[in-house]
Amino acid sequence: MANVKKLLIEPLRKSNPVTVLVLGICSCLAVTAQLKPALVMGASVTVVTALSNFIISLLRKGIPNRIRIIVQLVVVATLVILIDQFLKAFAYEVSKQLSVYVGLIITNCIIMGRLEAFALSHGPWESFLDGLGNGLGYSLVLVIVAFFRELLGSGTLLGYQVIPQSLYEAGYQNNGLMILPPMALIVIGIVMWINNSKTESK
Amino acid sequence: MKKDINSNGYIFLYATVLIVVVAVLLTVTALWLQPFQDRNKKNEKRINILTAAGIPNVDAKNAALLFERHCTAEFLVDADGNMTEDETGLPVFVIDRQTSVIPMQGNGLWGPIWGYLAIAADGKTLVGVSFGHKSETPGLGGEITTEKFQGQFAGKQIRDGASIKPIEFDAITGATKTSNGVREMIDGTLEQYKGYLTKFAATGE
Repeated sequence: MANVKKLLIEPLRKSNPVTVLVLGICSCLAVTAQLKPALVMGASVTVVTALSNFIISLLRKGIPNRIRIIVQLVVVATLVILIDQFLKAFAYEVSKQLSVYVGLIITNCIIMGRLEAFALSHGPWESFLDGLGNGLGYSLVLVIVAFFRELLGSGTLLGYQVIPQSLYEAGYQNNGLMILPPMALIVIGIVMWINNSKTESK
Repeated sequence: MKKDINSNGYIFLYATVLIVVVAVLLTVTALWLQPFQDRNKKNEKRINILTAAGIPNVDAKNAALLFERHCTAEFLVDADGNMTEDETGLPVFVIDRQTSVIPMQGNGLWGPIWGYLAIAADGKTLVGVSFGHKSETPGLGGEITTEKFQGQFAGKQIRDGASIKPIEFDAITGATKTSNGVREMIDGTLEQYKGYLTKFAATGE
């Protein structure tokens, strides 16, 4: 059981895919202007990473070394398309939210990174947990970044107004820069700095 | 019997089998889910039409019922505004015998955008709009689907005498291209429907 805990907890901070391994930065910039898409994206990447890790781990003994990247891509792409199709049929609202990100999920470096680094050399159950842990670690960073960007950029959280009207009347203004990608990079940098300065010494 | 998994023969075999399995899997799923997806798309269209026309509280569950109740006519018009059977005609949905809802299509920054314009019986005043997009950025261009953006259109005048008046609205900060796309889409669509709008206001059908 200790192993299970380690696989799930470590990617949250100590080996976080975004802040420590520096993977998946591109989608971090794109989807964190608001909290809601960040949650949707985090959940989808978690599901896809866990399932593709599981499948590749099952196939790992039969995959020819020379075409392994192609096999991984095919598995991930198939998985994403299948999930998208199912959502379109049974959860249309969610699929509308997600439609923008389908391409981003397939190309997310975290998924390929975990397949190469973990799933090819570990058993299915461990790989599944590793995928889940890394997906959650990624989601955690997304949510933190999106929280600050939406709060300071639009004055809302999950679309609800949280900064009171009276503050605007007193002269407060939303920071337009927060919505634009450069600020996402800076916020990620700050998150990275705080996280890594806390974990490195231990 | 242990096969060498790095021999050329094995690689070809593996790739072929993988591709066939994946292709079959995707095809079967797509065919199986097609009817469900079509139903959702149709519902989505109904929700957008009804919302543009100002019918409150439309959701996926009651869309079909409300559409049945409120949509009193559905026909195609030609460039002069006469009803036509021709498939190239422009579609019009009439809601509660007075509001005409017309579909629009345009381009945003990253992909297609679309929407519906609801026009009151005088052929001049906007009752409301609804917009949709495929891949605009959330928080920027994606804001066109929000109540805040769509709400500003109600009550605007689209015609000045016989000519179409370019519509004025507050663009979204940081999403100039998407806002321009919206403007071009509205202006272009109104230009196409000019004949219908003039006629419709004159006769009050």
